[in-house]
Amino acid sequence: MTFFNSLIPSSACQDPASGTATLATRRPAFEVAESEGSYDLTISLPGVAKDGIEITDLGGELRVSGKRAVTAPAGAVALHRESSDSSFELVLEHDSTIDPSKIEAELKDGLLHLKLAKAESAKPRKIAVG
Amino acid sequence: MQQGVIMRLIKYQNHNGLPATHLGGRLGGLEIDNELNWLFGTALRGLAGASAGGQFPVDLYEDKDNTYVRAELPGVARDAISVEMIEGSLSLQASRKDKVGEGSVSFSRLVSIPDEVDSEKVTAVYENGILTVTLPRREASKPKKINVSVN
Repeated sequence: MTFFNSLIPSSACQDPASGTATLATRRPAFEVAESEGSYDLTISLPGVAKDGIEITDLGGELRVSGKRAVTAPAGAVALHRESSDSSFELVLEHDSTIDPSKIEAELKDGLLHLKLAKAESAKPRKIAVG
Repeated sequence: MQQGVIMRLIKYQNHNGLPATHLGGRLGGLEIDNELNWLFGTALRGLAGASAGGQFPVDLYEDKDNTYVRAELPGVARDAISVEMIEGSLSLQASRKDKVGEGSVSFSRLVSIPDEVDSEKVTAVYENGILTVTLPRREASKPKKINVSVN
């Protein structure tokens, strides 16, 4: 399903809080690395401050959303823009293979690092042969 | 652009060297997810930047005293950023260490800036992954009010 979900851009998502379509929400670039005990998720969020990020985990879905803190220099006029001021949202399905109580987040230089500890049930289990 | 697509797909296969099923779980499938998003243009760019082109987004602002060049460079160390004035252009260069290997990814942009910039007074600040370069205008080029006395 993730495969198919990914084909639909998250800009089409509805904001469950207000019930209105969240316009111009972009999906930030991200990377996932897997280690034995966790998934390490890195999301590119330049210009976003710590208090501008919301991370929730509900029903096997990890949602990272928020908006940029950086604005144009006071009183200045934009001559050329390549960046976007739109809010962002990234929704990832994990089927409860991670432990939401053990999510660690760190924001540094515009990169958000999330350490998603795997749930005990998702870790490989060795079964001894009697 | 076409070349970029091919390069990234090859990179994905090389990185893992294993069939996707080996990664297990849905999170494991995210990497190819990301590749697909990239192909369909829903992800803006990979974390490595558009490594094929080595470019990054740049904004230009202006007020009456300064021109501002703002570049999105997330995850770059301050000492890996170089800002230079070269003959009326502003050169921005940065490199980021590749997490996977020992290599690094380089980025560069050359931005044409107005002639009247005082290149001695250019300053740069890096915060939250955004580099802001402030280019003050030379005193002489600022608009001056001239009083004309009419007899």
